[in-house]
Amino acid sequence: MELVVTGNLVRELRVAENLSQADLAAALGVSRQTVNSIETGRYTPSLALAIALARFFATTVEEVFHVAER
Amino acid sequence: MSQSDSAARGLGRKHNLLFWLTPAVAALGGIAYLVAAFAGGRPVLGVVLMAMMLLFAAGLVLAARRSETIRGLMDHRDERLTGIDLRATAAAGLALIVAVLIGAFVELGRGHSGAPYTWLGAIAGVTYIFAVLVQRVRQ
Repeated sequence: MELVVTGNLVRELRVAENLSQADLAAALGVSRQTVNSIETGRYTPSLALAIALARFFATTVEEVFHVAER
Repeated sequence: MSQSDSAARGLGRKHNLLFWLTPAVAALGGIAYLVAAFAGGRPVLGVVLMAMMLLFAAGLVLAARRSETIRGLMDHRDERLTGIDLRATAAAGLALIVAVLIGAFVELGRGHSGAPYTWLGAIAGVTYIFAVLVQRVRQ
């Protein structure tokens, strides 16, 4: 079974917390560009960063990242 | 300064040891150029080459203050930029291997042994195989 990431809720969660991309980047220890790339779907983060993102927003990885079977 | 700006700048202020690796290697390379040029009887060239390498090192550190990309490529904290660095390094290595192969073909075509290009190609090949074996065990 091969899963592909079809989208994510990072931008929605960040905006709901009234955070800028730079704020989220600083909290996660990554660059602002990386947060932007994740939000736009150009970059799929590693499992560790995905978990860090989910924990930051007090939710689960599967709630943040949407996947579908290929 | 907005909160966003201060957050972004704060991320870049604390440099880890990896951040200083490239400037340090550049500076050491400059010193090596100087020593080699002095040994070869061309001290002026050595001073010029060392100055260029030191300028490059200083330029990197200064550029990293302004550019998130350069900072990320140097400190390897950001997984996306580290991945980009890895792929860019592989592309540079591939370009070098192609150049070495062309050099070897040209030298062989001229009736020479192909050295030193054949040796350089052999080093690249052996290093690749060794790296694959090491990574296979580690991952």
